[in-house]
Amino acid sequence: MTGSLTETAVLARGQKTRIWIEANLLGRLSPAVTLLAYLFLFVPIVVLVVYSFNASRSTVVWSGFTFAWYGEVFQDRGLRQALQVSVIIAFVSALVSTAIGALTALAIVRRRFPGRDALSTLLLAPMVLPEIVMAVALLVFMVALNITLGYFSMIVSHVLITVPFATLIVRAAAASLDKRLEEAAADLGADEWQIFWRVTFPLLLPPLVTAFLLAATLSFDNFVMSTFTSGVGTTPLPLRIYSMLKLGITPEINALGALMVLLNVFVVVVVMGRHLSLFLKR
Amino acid sequence: MAGAMQNRRGLIVTLLMLAPATVLIAVFLIVPMLIVLGYSFAGRDAYGGVVPGFTLDSYRELFQPLYVPIFWNSVKLAFWNTVLCVLTAYPIAYFIAFRAGRFAPVLLILMLIPFWIDFLIRISAWVVLMGRNGMINSVLTATVLDEPARMLGTYGAVLVGLVYAFLPSAVFPIYAALQPIDRALLEAGRDLGAGPLQNFRRVTLPLSMPGVMAACLFVFVPSMGVFAIPVLLGGGKSIIIGNLIVQLFLDFRNMPLGSAVSVVLLAFSSLGILLYMRALRRVELART
Repeated sequence: MTGSLTETAVLARGQKTRIWIEANLLGRLSPAVTLLAYLFLFVPIVVLVVYSFNASRSTVVWSGFTFAWYGEVFQDRGLRQALQVSVIIAFVSALVSTAIGALTALAIVRRRFPGRDALSTLLLAPMVLPEIVMAVALLVFMVALNITLGYFSMIVSHVLITVPFATLIVRAAAASLDKRLEEAAADLGADEWQIFWRVTFPLLLPPLVTAFLLAATLSFDNFVMSTFTSGVGTTPLPLRIYSMLKLGITPEINALGALMVLLNVFVVVVVMGRHLSLFLKR
Repeated sequence: MAGAMQNRRGLIVTLLMLAPATVLIAVFLIVPMLIVLGYSFAGRDAYGGVVPGFTLDSYRELFQPLYVPIFWNSVKLAFWNTVLCVLTAYPIAYFIAFRAGRFAPVLLILMLIPFWIDFLIRISAWVVLMGRNGMINSVLTATVLDEPARMLGTYGAVLVGLVYAFLPSAVFPIYAALQPIDRALLEAGRDLGAGPLQNFRRVTLPLSMPGVMAACLFVFVPSMGVFAIPVLLGGGKSIIIGNLIVQLFLDFRNMPLGSAVSVVLLAFSSLGILLYMRALRRVELART
C-alpha cells in the first residue's frame, strides 16, 4: 500500500510521518482495539462463570470444583418466588407486546393513512426517552389512579418499552414479504381475514417468534421499570438480585449469574441470530 | 357505492389495527408524562403529599447547593462515558465493517451477547473483579503494588461500569453507518491519489458521522438516568440524576421535587435528541 522500500526512502519526512499514521492508526489500531474491547466485554463474564464453580467463598483463590452454589440458588425460596414473578411478567408482556407490535407493523407497512410517518416515529419514543422518566411517570400515574402496584403496573411498563422492538422486527419482516402472495390469494377469492390467517400469518410466524423472545428477554432482564412499578410481594428477579448485590457479592450470585448468562446466550445465538441480523440491517 | 363501503371498511380496519399502540402510548406514556409535568409545578404538604396549585418552588429547590453538584456530576460522567464509548466503538465498528471479512457476523453476534446478558449480572462481575481482594487487585499486588488499590467506590469504577454497559450501544449505530459505504468510493479516492488517512478523513468519516451522532445520543441520554452502577460500583458516593430520582420517589416520597428532577432530565434528553436531528439534517444537506 505504501510502495516499495526504495520509494519510501525518497519520501520527505512529513510524508513518512503521514504514512506511519495511516499504516498504524487504521491498519493496526483497529484490530488491537477490537481485540481489547472484546476481552474487556467478555473476561468479566467468563470470570463470573468460572468462579461460580469455586468451592471456597473467595472470588480469587481457587479451591476446587463444586456445584454447591447452584444447589443454594435452587433452594433459595426468595429467588424462586422472584423467578416465578419474572417468568409470568415476561410471558404476558411479551405476548401483549408482540400482538400490538404485529398489528402496528402491518398497518404501517400495508395500509395508507394520514400521519403514518409521524405515528411510526412516535412509536419509537420509548426507545429514546430515558427509561427512568417513563418509569417515574407510570408510578405517578398508577398512584394518582389508586391502582395498587403489582403485576398489572409491571406488565404495562414492560409492554411500553418492548413494543418498539417488537414493531421494528415485524415491520422489517413484513416489508420484505412478497406482496404478490397475498394478491394471489385475493385473486383466488380469499377475503381479508382468510388472507391474513392462511398467508400473512404463517409467513410472519418466524419473525413473530423472534419478536416474542426478544420482548420476553428484555422484560425478564428489565430493572429500571420494575424498580418503580413493582409492588409488595411481586419482586421480580432483577430487583431481588439488586438487593442481594447491595448486601455484598456471594458465590450464590455468581451461580445465578452464570445461569442467566446461559439463558440469554441461548436465546440470542440459537433462536435469534438469523433474524437479528435482518433486524440490524434495517 | 360498494367502493365507498369498501373504503370505509378499510379505514375502520386500519384504525382498529392502530388502536392498541396508540392507546398504549397515549394513556401510559403521554398522560403520565403530563401528570409528572403538572406535579413538578405543584406544592407539597408536610408529608410529601401533592398539593394542587402552581408554584416554581420545586425548580427553585434544585438550584440549591445540595443538588447542583449532582447535575454537574451527571453531565460530566455522561460526557466522559460518551467520549470513551465512541472513541472505542469507532475502531471496533471500522474493523467489523472493513477488515473482519467472514468473521464480521460472528463479531456482531458476540457484541450482541453482553447487550442481552442481564445488566445487573454484568455489573456484579465487576464488583467481583474490582473488590479489595478481587482478581485485579491480586494480579496487581503480585506484580507492581504493595497494597491492594481501592477501586470500588471510586469515580473511575463508575466510569468503567458505564463504559462496560454502554459500549455495545455505541458500536451498532457506527457499524450501521460504516457498513453500507460504497467500497468503490474508497477505490476512487485511492485512484485519485488519496492515501488511507485522506480517504478516511474525506470519505469514511463524513459518511459515518450520522452513526457517530446516533451513538452519542444512545450513550449520553441513558447514562444520566442510570442508578444501579453508582450504587454498586461507586459505593453511592458519586451519585447522579438517576440516583436522585430514585431517592426522591422511593425513599423520601417527595413527588413534586422528584417530578421536577425528571422534567429536567427529560429536557436534557430532548435537547440531545433535538441536537442530533439538527446535526443529522446538516450532514444530509452537506451531502446533497
